[in-house]
Amino acid sequence: MLRYLLRRGAGWVAMIVVATNLTYLLANSFLDPRVNYLQLRPPRSDEEISRSLAQYNLDPGTPLLQRWWTWITGILTRWDWGSSPVGDSVNEQVAFRVVMSGQLVFGALVLSVLIGVALGVYSAQRRHRPADRVAQFVSVIALNTPVAVAGLVVVVAAITINQAVGQTLFYVAGAQTPGVTGFWPVVLDRVQHLVLPTISLLFTSYAGYHMLQRAMLLDVVGSDYVRTARAKGLTRGQAIRTHGLRSSLIPVATQVAFAIPALFTGAVLTEKIFSWQGMGDYLIRTISENDVHGVVATAAFAALATAVGAILADVAVVALDPRVRVG
Amino acid sequence: MNVPSTTPAAPTAPRRGRLALVWRRFRRGRAAVAGLVVFAALVLFTLLGGLLTPYTHTAVDFTALTQGPSMEHPFGTTAGGNDVYAQAVHGLQRSLVIAVTVSLLTTAIGAVVGSGAAYLGGGRAWGRRGERAVLGVVHFLMVVPAFLILSLASQWGSGDYRVLIVALTALSWMTGARLVWTVATTLREREYVLAARFMGVPGPAIVLRHLIPNIGSLLIVSFTLTVVAVVQAETALSFIGFGVQVPDVSLGTMLADGSASMTTAPWLLTVPATLLLLTTVSLALVGDGLRDALDPTSQAGGRA
Amino acid sequence: MNPVPDPVLSVRGLHVTFGSEAGPVRAVRGVDFDLYPGRTLGIVGESGSGKSVTSLAVMGLLPDTAAVSGSIRLGGAELVGLGDRELSAVRGRDIGMVFQDPLSSLTPIYTVGDQLVEAMRIHRDISRAAARTRAVELLELVGIPDPGRRVRSFPHEFSGGMRQRMMIAMAIANDPKVIIADEPTTALDVTVQAQVLDVLRLARDETGAAVVLVTHDLGVVAGTADDVLVMYAGRPVETAPVQELFDAPRMPYTIGLLAAVPRVDAVTRRPLVPVPGSPPSPVDLPPGCPFAGRCPVAVDDCRTAEPPLLPLPGSDAHATACLRTGEIVDGRIGGAPVFTVPDVPDTGPGGPGGRSEREPVLSVEHLRRTFPLMTGSLIRRRVGTVHAVADVDLDIRRGETLGLVGESGCGKTTTLLELMNLRAPEGGRIRIAGTDVARVRGRAELTALRREIQIVFQDPMGALDPRMTVADILAEPLRAAGRSGRARIAARVDELMAMVGLDPAHAERFPAAFSGGQRQRIGIARALATEPSLLVLDEPVSALDVSVQAGVLNLLAQLKRDLGLSYLFVAHDLSVVRHVADRVAVMYLGRIVESGSVAEVFGNPQHPYTRALLSAVPVPDPRVERTRERIVLTGDLPSPTGEQHGCAFLTRCPLARTLSATELERCRSEIPQLVVKDGAADSDADHRSACHQAHGS
Repeated sequence: MLRYLLRRGAGWVAMIVVATNLTYLLANSFLDPRVNYLQLRPPRSDEEISRSLAQYNLDPGTPLLQRWWTWITGILTRWDWGSSPVGDSVNEQVAFRVVMSGQLVFGALVLSVLIGVALGVYSAQRRHRPADRVAQFVSVIALNTPVAVAGLVVVVAAITINQAVGQTLFYVAGAQTPGVTGFWPVVLDRVQHLVLPTISLLFTSYAGYHMLQRAMLLDVVGSDYVRTARAKGLTRGQAIRTHGLRSSLIPVATQVAFAIPALFTGAVLTEKIFSWQGMGDYLIRTISENDVHGVVATAAFAALATAVGAILADVAVVALDPRVRVG
Repeated sequence: MNVPSTTPAAPTAPRRGRLALVWRRFRRGRAAVAGLVVFAALVLFTLLGGLLTPYTHTAVDFTALTQGPSMEHPFGTTAGGNDVYAQAVHGLQRSLVIAVTVSLLTTAIGAVVGSGAAYLGGGRAWGRRGERAVLGVVHFLMVVPAFLILSLASQWGSGDYRVLIVALTALSWMTGARLVWTVATTLREREYVLAARFMGVPGPAIVLRHLIPNIGSLLIVSFTLTVVAVVQAETALSFIGFGVQVPDVSLGTMLADGSASMTTAPWLLTVPATLLLLTTVSLALVGDGLRDALDPTSQAGGRA
Repeated sequence: MNPVPDPVLSVRGLHVTFGSEAGPVRAVRGVDFDLYPGRTLGIVGESGSGKSVTSLAVMGLLPDTAAVSGSIRLGGAELVGLGDRELSAVRGRDIGMVFQDPLSSLTPIYTVGDQLVEAMRIHRDISRAAARTRAVELLELVGIPDPGRRVRSFPHEFSGGMRQRMMIAMAIANDPKVIIADEPTTALDVTVQAQVLDVLRLARDETGAAVVLVTHDLGVVAGTADDVLVMYAGRPVETAPVQELFDAPRMPYTIGLLAAVPRVDAVTRRPLVPVPGSPPSPVDLPPGCPFAGRCPVAVDDCRTAEPPLLPLPGSDAHATACLRTGEIVDGRIGGAPVFTVPDVPDTGPGGPGGRSEREPVLSVEHLRRTFPLMTGSLIRRRVGTVHAVADVDLDIRRGETLGLVGESGCGKTTTLLELMNLRAPEGGRIRIAGTDVARVRGRAELTALRREIQIVFQDPMGALDPRMTVADILAEPLRAAGRSGRARIAARVDELMAMVGLDPAHAERFPAAFSGGQRQRIGIARALATEPSLLVLDEPVSALDVSVQAGVLNLLAQLKRDLGLSYLFVAHDLSVVRHVADRVAVMYLGRIVESGSVAEVFGNPQHPYTRALLSAVPVPDPRVERTRERIVLTGDLPSPTGEQHGCAFLTRCPLARTLSATELERCRSEIPQLVVKDGAADSDADHRSACHQAHGS
């Protein structure tokens, strides 16, 4: 088992290394950091720009292989992921932004799984009845609502409410108001900022779990072993709860684990709309600012999140399904 | 021959009959029919809507900047004096052309790669190695940060929608290929595939004649739902500025324009948001309806 | 006879209807029966006859879309119309149920013990520990070895037979009044089937319950049931005590069914009597008797009104639903048999001269095929080798049928696939029509060899591409073999359709428009397209109902004579093999353990496995079935992993108990080879078996 885990882990590490280096190559060929200096007044000469960039290991004049070597040794020896074209440390940015994203993403993930699974069980038990039809209809719309539309609608709605109430109940931008002090005022302020982006993430992600849980449970409800459980004397509801639910959770758990990486990058639009300084916002910013090192760090983080998600999915399956346990 | 002929079989059910059956099943789903009607209306709008206005999406009316809906400009105008109606016609068309092209390409690539790999895997040792290699590539491409690479590529292509089509196709064919592969691995164990193999039918012929036709309904459904996904991806990219870029217009760029002035000029947001929502939801309903109609076992009440 | 007690279960006028796209499906249309304590009622019928729906209706386990009417009284209490909650108080306490597929019927994520404990604690106020103790006792009762340890196993760690024992244990956990077994042995091998039927009888005797045994297998009914109810198109058409039903059936359908079943104990080969046609669709039933369309003695009155099930004069236990029942005596009507015996040629090996003079069509020597054994679905790693085919010799001469028999997992299918692949085998040698497969070079030679050997598969649905017309399906092998010319191919397609008894005009239809038997005929036609000399038949009739199976078997006999074919007939059903084969090879764990002519192997089996196999096959005759001596094997087929050093059958061998230490040592250390019995006469010179003890003295 340990050997297996080590082998799997090594496989994922290799995957992350390849993905990161591939992104380094692509970012260097697609992005040109010199552009950042061209708009500066007074205009700088090419040599000045090259000199400025060279101190951050970004000068296109230096051979790519040499720049790559400097970059990779920096990571391996000092865990230094480099700097932006204007000298900001990538490490600092990522460390700050991962925490910011985490606040937003995990709340939304937990809520969407809870709501989705509960709704799935509810509507599977009421299959084809009005409650199920309504829930399904809402979920089809939610599932297919583009994230941008959902976010913007939430913003418009919140502004309308704020205007109607006459005071700022919800903040539509940022994560906190500067200058707020005291424990409860800070908590309240954070919540006021979190509510809107969480709702918009929730709306676009709960429906997937709802539909999957419903479909899986319906599969299980028609299965032979639930019929056997009923033949033993359990009512339909009891048989589904004790024999069906756990089996039907297996694919849902896998889905949740795989959703973790998608959540970080999937929050791109939400973070942009709500000016939330997370990883998604960083992705947009680094690309539009030709920040090669920032882009690569984002890619490495996404690959890591994927690996963690895949391993969590394996763990979930092993925990829930005795058939795949190995003696 | 004195073996008695058994009772005559049921009336013939050739392809036309099957299509009619699928259509009958499809029609039973009210949501799917509504989706089809809405989507057809949207397609008509992009094809013929341009005839109803003298403006094009790039034309500027300096007499009307940021104006609300009026007789002259039914959906209002932008801050730059562009007619929003004309932009909507063009933007929806642009979004749909990208989505449909990408979906056609990914579905075709997915079908060939997926069923080809599955067929190889059912054969000799070298075939199984080939299957594993293809799956390895698919898996790797599925874990690379696709959205990031897409953004990079379309930023580099500076908003040319053809670059976007290539990039979107290159980064989204794997999901379809994997789905097809999963289904085709069960098909390749079917006895009619074995029978063809034992008759000496060549591999490519088996893939084209037996595997792909039997996943036809899967491909149709997956095509429809891919269109939805690509519309979402394209508008998301355009919204953050990496997809379609000015002077070209898509629903995503219109959304971005609208979000800048949502309180002062709400029509700039309402028009693209509504069109986008109608497109994705109607197509998704059509896709779900098709799945139920083509595969009666997927939902109760549809037993043939 | 004792005074008749009250029935525990009494069903009257049971109707079940399902809604469907094509209209209401009337699955059950008026079933009546009474069930008495300690007795077994067998409900027999072909697929779609409504027998399983009846049993689920009694349990109240039909889906919500089913409309149930009529009366089901359990000890006087009415069950029809009760809600799920009231019914669940009855299910599992008063009625226990055993389902067909023991793999999917047990919850995979709970241990066997937990599932048994749950069954008890639902209905009884019993502590967890006490229930656990009782669970171990129950497992012991149904014959699961080492129950104290096994109680902690998960269902997937059990073999099929053990799972079905566990199902029975669960059904009797609360001493029910009624046990319903729905096709309890259909998914099992014959040797395991015999064990499970014994357990079912034991369970009945332990609990004194009444048993409903739903099955399609007349042999199982003959051995286990006291009374029989024959169903057709949702209705009972004949009911009688078991002996009387088999001795003197009075309804044409029952007569046809009995005449269509081959028997493993038949000494002479009689032609099987096929029942023409197939059952009517339950959506679109004709007026009158549903069997009238297939009945050779139907008269006009049969087609106007459906005859009710009426007791025969002078016997209140025997009832039929047939207008002409009074005229039918001893399977004859007015002196002529109800079903005319078809003119099927003697299927003995064709061609002049002795066996050794005919040329070999297939010869296989020491065939070997192994697979790497992987563990876990998550953690894949090679832990050993599966010897799927360890050492197989086969020899088929022109015009001959070789039956290859064995239980599932013995390597039959792997052997076939190795033959069909036409590649050099991993070990051993394969010669087809005189050509060594390993020496085939180039496409042309391969195509030529492919034409010689073709295969017919088991599942008539899966073997035909549903998206191709029958004409395209039949043309495919012709094109693959290099034939061209639209007209020539079309002509050959028509010829093939006629050859297998189908109307060439139907060639433009899709497979879905044909019945199971017709599809199997299409499969045979496709195999014959390139005029092969050898046809490999992989369980060709096991997916068909008996009344249809007989027609396909007769067709095969006919084709063999007309076209001079040789067959390799693979089957698990020994009765069918006895009926069609000239020679037989018995396979166990990748090896042939006995081979020879059918008469020799079936009449004078040498290997203890062959003997056990033969005695486990149920015979559709209650008198024979209840009196003959049986050898019930213990345990299941072990998995063929690891290197073998001795006799593979030793773990289950009934002889082993009687052997001396030196004899046992020989069985353990030396792999027995196929040899001719000592002192055999010339006539059975090629009756060989692989057992150290069979050749003794």
